[in-house]
Amino acid sequence: MNRNALWIWVPTLVGVAILLLAPLGLASHPYIMHIAIVAFFYAILASSWSLLAGYGGQFSFGHMAFMAIGAYTTGLFAKFVRIATAPTHMCSEMSVGSYTLFLLNPVPEGQLNCLELAKPHMPVGTLIYRPPVSVGILLGILMGGIFGFLVGVLVLRLRRTYLALFTIGFSEIVRVALNAEIPITNGPNGLELPPLFPKGISIFGHHFSAADKVPPYYVMLFLFLGSMALMYWLAASRFGLFIRALREDEEAASALGVNIVRYKVWLFVITSMIAAAAGAVEAHYIGVITPNILLILQMSLVISMAVIGGLESLVGAAIGAILIEFALEFLRTSFTIGPITVDMTVWRLVFFGALLMLTLRFQNNGLIYPLVQRLSRAGVAEEVVAKRMVPQQTAQEGEE
Amino acid sequence: MIELDVRNVVKNFGGLQALSGVSFKLQGPERVGLIGPNGAGKTTLTNILSGLIKPTSGTVYLNGQRIDPLPPYEIARRGLGRTFQVTRAFRRMTVMENMLVPALALNPTANRRELEKKAMEILEFLTIEHLAREYARSLSGGQQKLLELGRLLMLDPSVLILDEPFAGVHPKLRQTIWNFITHVNENLGRAFIIISHDMDTIFALSKRLLVLNYGELIADGDPEEVRRDPKVIEAYLGEEEEEEVAA
Repeated sequence: MNRNALWIWVPTLVGVAILLLAPLGLASHPYIMHIAIVAFFYAILASSWSLLAGYGGQFSFGHMAFMAIGAYTTGLFAKFVRIATAPTHMCSEMSVGSYTLFLLNPVPEGQLNCLELAKPHMPVGTLIYRPPVSVGILLGILMGGIFGFLVGVLVLRLRRTYLALFTIGFSEIVRVALNAEIPITNGPNGLELPPLFPKGISIFGHHFSAADKVPPYYVMLFLFLGSMALMYWLAASRFGLFIRALREDEEAASALGVNIVRYKVWLFVITSMIAAAAGAVEAHYIGVITPNILLILQMSLVISMAVIGGLESLVGAAIGAILIEFALEFLRTSFTIGPITVDMTVWRLVFFGALLMLTLRFQNNGLIYPLVQRLSRAGVAEEVVAKRMVPQQTAQEGEE
Repeated sequence: MIELDVRNVVKNFGGLQALSGVSFKLQGPERVGLIGPNGAGKTTLTNILSGLIKPTSGTVYLNGQRIDPLPPYEIARRGLGRTFQVTRAFRRMTVMENMLVPALALNPTANRRELEKKAMEILEFLTIEHLAREYARSLSGGQQKLLELGRLLMLDPSVLILDEPFAGVHPKLRQTIWNFITHVNENLGRAFIIISHDMDTIFALSKRLLVLNYGELIADGDPEEVRRDPKVIEAYLGEEEEEEVAA
């Protein structure tokens, strides 16, 4: 292993080990565990947005919409789908082996749905199950991919401002639709979801309850690490090369044989699926989702995390998101300087905004990415070559 | 056998006819210059040949296959590559990454190390191998022109269209570009269409000249014949050239 690779792999493995072992010391601090889970959630969103916008040049403001699609898909699946050992003859249903899969009908509050109406007529001993949470999450990811595909196809010819406006419009449509369809989504009151492990889970002989923070911590952590591994692999492959080429110049890339339509659509599909996965897991962890997760402020937060961390760096965006999430939580504590009391619940966002502006003005490659680059010494070779070239160029100019 | 067959290509932009029935044929590894005054339709023709825009009517065949309805990437993969008037290197990618894009687009399963080796050989020929790990944005304008040529060769096209390859280039790099064109044309057997406003260079470099004026192909032939063509003199070369020829 060469020296550069060591500088990359050693900090990565140490970081992963710390994250894996953290619950040993933090399990008794549910608040910190909660912040960590939410931080991983934002890290997935910021890094996947970094792949979309930083690598691929697709400045989409619809990333949170894909997250919400994943969250609502699994939420609605949990709310409306049931499995029973006997048919209801009242719901929309289909037989799957010896089981019946059926869809509950949306009803206004206080009225009975088809299952409740059917129960008195069903055979004694009929078992009714909720579908597994994992299936809902997978469906959420799939739905994120389908919508990612559709949006990817629709925005093929749109660039920069037009793409941003289109995706803001898409996000707003999703938010308004979720707000309006109260019988289905509960609108602004929010949709309740079962926890990730409704009956708790036993790991190495230790039983964790449904409300315990350790299992969701690991689920979100593995989702974060898995998505990072996938995105790094993609970024290093020809996929990464081609999406960066289309970011730079679509026409030139196309004239050099790159099927820009295919790679642009794939980029939307992949990043949308990752966002949807994060949304689906987060929704089950929090237990309730509202259309407010689609407010433009939320999208701005993710973009800010990616920009401050380093837009063209997956790990920069992820670390930026984790640090900012922790900072925003820990900066809630107000303090007093003489006669002045600073209400940090408000001022922390001002500091955050100022940090964003300063980053954009003075360090537009982010605050974390340059550190990562220095650590990995990725710039050393370029510096050496550049230095070596100076005398040669001077000599050439002398000759001329 | 390389064959580019352009048949009666017309391109209208609204009420403006940019190309009005352009036809010509390239056979074998020809070295063709394409000249004409500004607005003559040279870039429009190049864009049609490379698939970036579609003709209003007319057809283009490359090596016996019709290519005008195809998307640009498909045309590139079938063997027609081009550069742009203003260099369009992928600026935030390294020189080597720039070189790998067309090679991997052409052959996705190729061994990356072998492609890098091939890229280094091309960069060496273009005298910019020491810049392989530099970002393209740090290259001078002339070096970016060289990079575009190298990138094009990684696509391994049978026909190369170079749009103003000598514009704004230092004399020393001009010689490198000249050497590249003659080497690829004569030793590797590739056909060239070269657009240039540099009359001395284009007359010296081309074996055949096409002259466009207001979207019409007004001359097609040996450079010396074209130089004496009254229509070309009137439309493009001007009085001074005419006097020079008469003298």
